[in-house]
Amino acid sequence: MTGRHPLKGLGDVWDAATAPLWALRIRHPVIWRFACSVVLTSLALLGTYFVDPNTNYNMAIAASMSIVILGLSFLTGASGQVSLGNGAFMGVGAFTMAIWANHHTTTPIAVTLVISLAAGGAVGLLIGLPATRLRGPYLAGMTITFALAFPNLLTLFNSWTGGDSGLQLPTLVAAPQWLVDLLGPGASALAPDDMWYADICIVTVGIAFFLMANLFSSRTGRAMRLVRDNEVAAELAGVSLPHARVLAFVVSAAYAGLGGALATIVSNSVSPSTYNLSLSITILSLLVIGGMGTLSGALIGGVIFAYSGSGVTWIVNQTGIDPYGNLATNLSGIIFGALLMVTILIAPFGIAGTTKMLTGRASQKRRAARLLPSRS
Amino acid sequence: MDGFLTSRILSDLLYGVTDGVTISLVALSLVLIWRSTNVLNFAQGAMAMFATYVGMGLLSYNLAYWWCVLISVVAGMALGGLVERTVVRRLYGKPELNPIVVMVGLLLVLESTAAAIWGSTARSLPTPFSFEYWQIGGKPFGLSPFAVFEIIAAVLAAAAIGALFRFTKIGLQLRASALAPEVSRLLGVRVGRMLTLGWVLASGVGALAAVLVSSDISGLTPGVMDTIFVFGFVAAAIGGLESPVGALVVGIALGILDAFITDFWNPNYVTIATLALLVVVLMIRPQGLFSKRIARRV
Amino acid sequence: MIGSRVRQLATVGAAVGLSAGLVLTGLSVGTASASGVPGLTSSSITIGATVPLTGIASPGYNEVAKAARAVFLYVNKKHVAGLRQINYILKDDCYGTPGSGCTGVPNTSTQTNALLSTPGGLFATVGSLGTPTQDSVRALLKSHGTPQLFVNSGSKDWNNPSTYPGLFGFQQSYEVESKILAKYMKTAYAGKKICFLGQSDDFGTDGYQGLTEGGITPANGFATYNVALLAIQGAKYFTPLIRNLQTASCKVVFLDTIPGATAAALGNAKALGFSPQWVISSVGSDPITVNKALKGKGSEVNAVSFAEFPASTDTAANAKLWKTWIVKVLTADKADFPGFTAAKLDGNMVYGASFGVAFVEALKAAGANFTQASFVHLLETTTFNQTPSLVPLQYTSSNHQGLNGGYIDKVKSASSTAVVNPTVYVTNSGVGAVTTAPSKSSGMPSWLK
Repeated sequence: MTGRHPLKGLGDVWDAATAPLWALRIRHPVIWRFACSVVLTSLALLGTYFVDPNTNYNMAIAASMSIVILGLSFLTGASGQVSLGNGAFMGVGAFTMAIWANHHTTTPIAVTLVISLAAGGAVGLLIGLPATRLRGPYLAGMTITFALAFPNLLTLFNSWTGGDSGLQLPTLVAAPQWLVDLLGPGASALAPDDMWYADICIVTVGIAFFLMANLFSSRTGRAMRLVRDNEVAAELAGVSLPHARVLAFVVSAAYAGLGGALATIVSNSVSPSTYNLSLSITILSLLVIGGMGTLSGALIGGVIFAYSGSGVTWIVNQTGIDPYGNLATNLSGIIFGALLMVTILIAPFGIAGTTKMLTGRASQKRRAARLLPSRS
Repeated sequence: MDGFLTSRILSDLLYGVTDGVTISLVALSLVLIWRSTNVLNFAQGAMAMFATYVGMGLLSYNLAYWWCVLISVVAGMALGGLVERTVVRRLYGKPELNPIVVMVGLLLVLESTAAAIWGSTARSLPTPFSFEYWQIGGKPFGLSPFAVFEIIAAVLAAAAIGALFRFTKIGLQLRASALAPEVSRLLGVRVGRMLTLGWVLASGVGALAAVLVSSDISGLTPGVMDTIFVFGFVAAAIGGLESPVGALVVGIALGILDAFITDFWNPNYVTIATLALLVVVLMIRPQGLFSKRIARRV
Repeated sequence: MIGSRVRQLATVGAAVGLSAGLVLTGLSVGTASASGVPGLTSSSITIGATVPLTGIASPGYNEVAKAARAVFLYVNKKHVAGLRQINYILKDDCYGTPGSGCTGVPNTSTQTNALLSTPGGLFATVGSLGTPTQDSVRALLKSHGTPQLFVNSGSKDWNNPSTYPGLFGFQQSYEVESKILAKYMKTAYAGKKICFLGQSDDFGTDGYQGLTEGGITPANGFATYNVALLAIQGAKYFTPLIRNLQTASCKVVFLDTIPGATAAALGNAKALGFSPQWVISSVGSDPITVNKALKGKGSEVNAVSFAEFPASTDTAANAKLWKTWIVKVLTADKADFPGFTAAKLDGNMVYGASFGVAFVEALKAAGANFTQASFVHLLETTTFNQTPSLVPLQYTSSNHQGLNGGYIDKVKSASSTAVVNPTVYVTNSGVGAVTTAPSKSSGMPSWLK
């Protein structure tokens, strides 16, 4: 090849400009992740000021679901255990939020969120302990049985969970006065509350994703991935298999509970029929389609969830299907199921994973050039 | 004697056996697939339901009930073979996670498609057997003509499968392919075909279970096999996923347990009790009660 | 992991593009309507409802809101003087039940939010359906000052003016209905063993309470079923429940059940060879359901029920007047009721048409300028006695329940009901006596004809 391509000069400028960022990323990963979290969260919060209330509402829903998906991503992606019961763990957190709020109306939201997280984790422990002895399909089957039994468990504790009717939060979680003032009198009546929901959820996502990123890269996270890939090697390395498995379950269930609590805040109510087997399957689908084992995959899954209703409506409108007919009602199930199958068969790493792989391959040579001498 | 025959205990026992045989059939179909291809087919119930819709859809063309039953079972077998050939084939040798996720996806597709085509409202089938329980001295006895039909159909199906495996050459080949595929191949067994055949037979059994459940008073809906699939899995897991006998025995036992819990306690507690039972058994004996294999220890 | 330059650029570009896109779409936020009252312009009013258009609660129930929509379309076409064009938006919340394509966060909140976000605002919700669904959005609607009118449910939750001033029910409470039925049962079934089977939520508890207040104590106590279990297990769930009634030799059974549960109960009873006198709540006594459960032999069943609207074979002048009008209105709405004939008219459609008529009459009375608050006040101070219901619709500042009476009817055939006792009774939710209605609905406003 003779002569340099003119654009290569620009490439070199870009490399030089981003070199200090790479240095930070490799040498001080935790600070890098913290900085990224803060920057991205702030940008998102800023965004909530400008968008319309409906988008904020959908973003809040997307955020709450992405936390649940991230939890399952850790369980399945990091430690290789399949759970078909995370919808139930989500329900644990959702009901804990509602029950606590009804009995202790003055607890700040942040505290109740942590309590719901803990409740999810506690139930995760209960399910995770017997699960350590189970493998693959047995484990999946046990979690599916739990998911099936969960609505019945709720009805069992009728007096706490409100029976068939479920529970409402005693008061609407309303935007604080400073936020209302910020938006001013010209804004629609909905705007402050929806923006507040989005903000709460975004901040929670920022914190939750930051912690998970650290956990994934930490010694514990590496140990779990070793357990997933090669149990004998893990045992030889001194990793306690049951401990690792149970921890994964607890973390995954805690995150699901946190997402459920956020969902209760956003919808102001909780009902037993929502947290059923169907939801658990949906969460798994979103995880696989978004991309297992990646942070962005969980976010993508959350967004798909929030907009799947309007997405299906759009498809129905474009194709002239009867919107009240059987096909329209069940279209989301057909699409999700088909996507789930196709994704595993063709692109098992989902949207995020596949994107990473495709764009990662082109850089083999560059990577070598950019590596700092003291690390490999 | 009359008092005993119409007593609550005997009645519950009979209701339990009636329910249990369909659970057993589902459990048996899961075990057959597991033994032949080491896959837990999460879509088993949905495939059986779909086949039943196809078969029973022909009722509107004035086809008799029995023909529709036959077509449902055949459709189930065909669907099983198709799924094995096209989907499951690609999953052999891949991580354990993949078949689970794919079959769950198939479950979703089949249920939603059935609801899209035929709607979610329950369809009652023209079952030629009455649901009226026989009366002895004015009190109901625990069996109805339909219940007897269910029990006989299930027993015949299980016996036929058992005879096939034990007494025929094909059965021998099926067992050999599952136990030692490489050796079987060397001996001239078409292992690939045996895997497909395993799915075909299992799906036929599953479809029969769906036909029986749908012919009952609740009718046919897209979700009709959801709960019974989970109970079938529990029965298969407790019995041991490798053990057909275990599946049958535990299936009936589970049905009886559920009937007693429903009557003496509360229908709400059935799923909870089933979950508790599963957890307890798997903690004590993870390979299942009837399995001869050594426990997969952690 | 170190990625490629392309990926970095793409990530940055996507972030920038997405933010810009969100900002641009966000800047076109809908503002309040010109008049300052949400959903109200000089020529139109925007209202909405969340109803189960699809899903397990939809058969039958989805016709209610469509019938109301037919009424609004009819008056819109007539261009009645002094009446704005009514824009009625229906959102499907599929009652949030499993296995019907609706999963995740309760749809009612999402759909109510979507209604509230309608460009130009929403004046009120009218005729939304369901007790748990509407309970879950009470606080939301209250915080936005949006009235929640004519909730389609007999719960007493809608009668709470001090906490929810904009919330109104429409039909009689379950308690009122059971009290009136109890009065009938005391004389008609004197000396017979009466048993009960009801839903496990306030539908059942209020119904049971009404029975006891009316002087009937069911011999088997408060026996219940659970809606979620029914949805999952189907009719088989009811077999042990009906068996218990049969073993107890109940001669009369009061079913406080939704249509699906009525079907399950009756179907199982037929299978068990159990045929008591059935008394069924108006909520679940639709003849089509009753007959389907009994495979066409419904008329043999003599199911007695309560009706707040005239029975389909009622020959009273007002009944015929409104029946003819409703058939005319529904036939004209070809989108919602294609190929409609008088034979297809059922109780759900009459219900929907009735609250449609009530809203239209209130809107006409409200005149040219009003607010959400003044509209609520109008409802509290007007008596609507020209509607299809048997008793007039009346609210006060301390009572937002709605209708408070009706008469006893029975299932006559696969599609019709007949009057059993033409005396119309009224009562309250509480220990007040059951008395003959002081006045009945009569006539139709001339501008509506």
